[in-house]
Amino acid sequence: MSLQVLNPNAEVLNKSAALHMSINAAKGLQDVLKSNLGPKGTIKMLVGGAGDIKLTKDGNTLLKEMQIKNPTANLIARTAVAQDDISGDGTTSTVIFIGELMKQAERYIDEGMHPRVLVDGFEIAKRATLQFLDKFKTPVVMGDEPDKEILKMVARTTLRTKLYEALADQLTDIVVNAVLCIRKPEEGIDLFMVEIMHMRHKFDVDTRLVEGLVLDHGSRHPDMKRRAENCYILTCNVSLEYEKSEINAGFFYSNAEQREAMVAAERRSVDERVKKIIDLKNKVCLGNENNFVVINQKGIDPPSLDLLARAGIIALRRAKKRNMERLVLACGGEAVNSVGDITPDSLGWAGLVYEHVLGEEKYTFVENVKNPCSCTILIKGPNDHTIAQIKDAVRDGLRAVKNTIEDESVVLGAGAFEVAARQYLINEVKRSVQGRAQLGVEAFADALLVVPKTLAENSGLDTQDVIISLTGEHDRGNVVGLNQHTGEPIDPQMEGIFDNYSVKRQIINSGPVIASQLLLVDEFIRAGHNMRKPN
Amino acid sequence: MREVVTIQVGSYANFIGSHFWNFQDELLGLAEDPQSNEVFKSHHLDMDVLYRSGETPQGILTYTPRLVSVDFQGSLGSMSSRGTLYNDIPPVQSDVVTWTGNISTHATERRTKNLFLQSLYEEEQKRLGMENGVNGGKNDSEGEIQDKDIVECLQDGVQNWTDFSKVHYHPRSLYELTGLGMDIGEFESYGIGRDAFSEALRGEEINERLRFFMEECDHIQGIQFMVDDSGGFSGVAAEFLENIVDEYTNVPMLLYTVRSPGSYINLTSRKQTISHSLHDAISFAKLSSLCKLIVPIGLPSPSKTSRFLSIKDEKPYYSSAIYASALHSISLPFRMEPLGPSAESLYISGAVDINGVIQMLAGQARHNSVAILDVAMPAPPLSGEQVEQSLLGNLQTLTPGTADNVEDLQAVESMTVHGAIGSGGQQASVSEVKDRVQDAYENALARPMFSHLSVARCPLPIPLPFPSIFGNLVSQNGELLSSPISGSRSRGSLDVHSIPMAARLRSSAAVLPFLEKRLGNLRRFGIERVALGTEIVRSWGFGQEEVEDIGETLSKMVTTLDPRSQVSSDSD
Repeated sequence: MSLQVLNPNAEVLNKSAALHMSINAAKGLQDVLKSNLGPKGTIKMLVGGAGDIKLTKDGNTLLKEMQIKNPTANLIARTAVAQDDISGDGTTSTVIFIGELMKQAERYIDEGMHPRVLVDGFEIAKRATLQFLDKFKTPVVMGDEPDKEILKMVARTTLRTKLYEALADQLTDIVVNAVLCIRKPEEGIDLFMVEIMHMRHKFDVDTRLVEGLVLDHGSRHPDMKRRAENCYILTCNVSLEYEKSEINAGFFYSNAEQREAMVAAERRSVDERVKKIIDLKNKVCLGNENNFVVINQKGIDPPSLDLLARAGIIALRRAKKRNMERLVLACGGEAVNSVGDITPDSLGWAGLVYEHVLGEEKYTFVENVKNPCSCTILIKGPNDHTIAQIKDAVRDGLRAVKNTIEDESVVLGAGAFEVAARQYLINEVKRSVQGRAQLGVEAFADALLVVPKTLAENSGLDTQDVIISLTGEHDRGNVVGLNQHTGEPIDPQMEGIFDNYSVKRQIINSGPVIASQLLLVDEFIRAGHNMRKPN
Repeated sequence: MREVVTIQVGSYANFIGSHFWNFQDELLGLAEDPQSNEVFKSHHLDMDVLYRSGETPQGILTYTPRLVSVDFQGSLGSMSSRGTLYNDIPPVQSDVVTWTGNISTHATERRTKNLFLQSLYEEEQKRLGMENGVNGGKNDSEGEIQDKDIVECLQDGVQNWTDFSKVHYHPRSLYELTGLGMDIGEFESYGIGRDAFSEALRGEEINERLRFFMEECDHIQGIQFMVDDSGGFSGVAAEFLENIVDEYTNVPMLLYTVRSPGSYINLTSRKQTISHSLHDAISFAKLSSLCKLIVPIGLPSPSKTSRFLSIKDEKPYYSSAIYASALHSISLPFRMEPLGPSAESLYISGAVDINGVIQMLAGQARHNSVAILDVAMPAPPLSGEQVEQSLLGNLQTLTPGTADNVEDLQAVESMTVHGAIGSGGQQASVSEVKDRVQDAYENALARPMFSHLSVARCPLPIPLPFPSIFGNLVSQNGELLSSPISGSRSRGSLDVHSIPMAARLRSSAAVLPFLEKRLGNLRRFGIERVALGTEIVRSWGFGQEEVEDIGETLSKMVTTLDPRSQVSSDSD
């Protein structure tokens, strides 16, 4: 072949070999992730070479942990990870859906059908399914007061697939309240305004919502108060440390006095900035018992800390950049970049500020704020892998709530949508399609069933029975999902099982695109590598 | 006290770092050891500059490097990324408290500890046992691991930089890039690295870790940053640096770009050659624009550095040891307590902080921000006939692609000499070293415009896991012998206990070929109208204008050093 002439090391897999390699890779990936799906799925404990433990039930995390070498699998994995980036969930579903599309396609291709025809069918089915999804979804009105119950149901559906029920239910309220706290009318939701903080705690697994902020550092002066009530909060980004300025490099002095003078002059300008802050404190705290807290993004050196401590001010240095924004949202006031123009109006307010120490770790709680538009979810867990897993779940929960608010709609879960869409495709769409593309539509429709099938399989139920009873109910006009405990059909609406519209949409959109691309590949070329050799 | 925070990004940077911290650990150990030499017990170096004191949740005090290290997933070998100090939970505990359903465990094959790490572990257990009053020393003689075996097992068995590390790291120090979804071999260009930093909140986490160490510094002196810029890590480092410059604007930064000999392999395909040349040019220009002083180090073949050393180029474990020794020497002045102008110390002299070094080398009239690193390892004795040539002549450059014998009237140098041996094979006093070095400069053919000297009496201690790189002309305390010692050709930590060192940072026009090569390649492959590498550069996310800006940066660096070269892009 011509390529071999050009590069004798190049290796070529063609036609059926290439196709089967793709199909096998897709099926392989599906097998790995399949057991994750749903509230009855299996949690995976990954133990690294050095004994590090990672716990996950999240397809996204799992894909990232696996060192995938196969090019096809890699393509699927990247699509799935992109899915997570866009909508925050649905990685596992994407992977198993693509796997199932490939599996269904294999059946037809083995019978001699050309992939092109299948791909055409996929395209038709995809468009029809998306239209169907828009009809099928349950609209939710998100006015000024969003329906908390719906939000909770969506969050609970997501969380219960990642954590055990009691823990998931505890987190449900927390994530819903957190998103509602940061939600601003007429603006997109910035989930970064929810800080997620964690603490190691010997036995406890506990999570709570702090209306306010938790910072992972404390004041650096022994005389500063560890607990203060009724605090003015100054959020600033002002250097309060002595730095050598660049022009006076401080290297060549002709005598010691000159050096001293230079140092003194530079010190003075820092002191003046500190004094401005102290003046403001004296002004606002005159004649009352209120306290004053400075939270600075830049450094504060010991002499400045001394001055502040003597004036009864609590000061924290090197705060996270993002916390500057969060502090202002939580406490009010504004973030100040220069002390020249600080006024009492730039100050925020917190009812309580206190420090919590765990070994060398210090935490500062800023609580009892007036109108919090930023909050912190504080996770306590006995070890890192537990904390990490809860953190992942919290992130997913937050995304689910955010998606619901932005979508203004939800989709019935527990496999109800997939079964309904399948029946729609088979009963209506397929008939309207001419020729062999019908088979593509059928393959697509059957592939949709992978979700209820996998849910059933993970619950230890008989997949055939489940599918028959579900499709039967749907044909009778009842929209039902799968009860994971009994295998009986249930009404997801009654049970409060809802999925995100945007997540579902994304899965339906990207799955067939990738599957089609893979099906149309008829040649793999790789220079200098041996693909068949296992390594 | 002025703190220094160290950052190591990339595999080879971590190899160097591992040796570097081993030296520090050795110094700490020798200072406490009643049997050690007096120069180690009172080295008058403030270790708190590099180390932080901490406390575990159980209240056990810890002393760990102020370090943020970034490397590939799996690069830590048998070491946990959390280190060992803060692990209160017994590792066997595996109760899953968040899930009541099925659990499946996927365990990677456990990496076995090598002999060296085993012996460290056993030592630790024994010490803990003694502290708890348990007499664990019953069958000592049986299980004792011999130092000889350890040294031997390391010579050929080092895979990861953790294999020869004897330092305890803080749980926040070691960061692994996870979920890259590609082979290590594919992580080879600036563009890939840059994306890797910003994706999946990796950058956020790395910044957070640095902030942890920065927050506790009362008065930070600066950051020493080592990056392996031969692959994607240069992109990671550049993004990281950008954040640092943003967040810690006035904190001085000393940047070392390091390369392993392995990164110089001959590339077969033309496309790869172009891609690598462009990577080198862009990575260097980007990194240098983000700091005030950049020191490129890493020779294609370090085995040719000195006739007193025998190095296997193909092993990063060997070559990284030289660079680490040089960086150790350069960092000594940062840890010396500054004295008043009139005060003299018997142990140290010439304290200068990171800002001082940067100002000295880069802040002079010429504003050349690229420095060359030279080292004499071991430093020759300061006695005998030809001291003058000997000390300066023994300094070998570790910066690749520099010119020899360049006369540069505006050169500026900062040299550190420590543990030097004076007349009669004795430790030279600080003043003797100062005098000798001054003599050397006065008699030298080409003298720099300005030179600064730092002297310490404490030599470089050779820790047990140091590779056997010394030839048979080096004695136990690092003296250079005229006749070879009989025995094996290469000698390691068992035969050589400490060596005198001299290292120098130099701002000189000798670096011009290094710069011109990068500028030339960038123009040839990236900027010219029908350049072959335009596609590659675009795939890294650079537009044409951006590439031209980068070319501009480089050409400015060249003209700084050589005003005559009026190279414009047209005449090229």
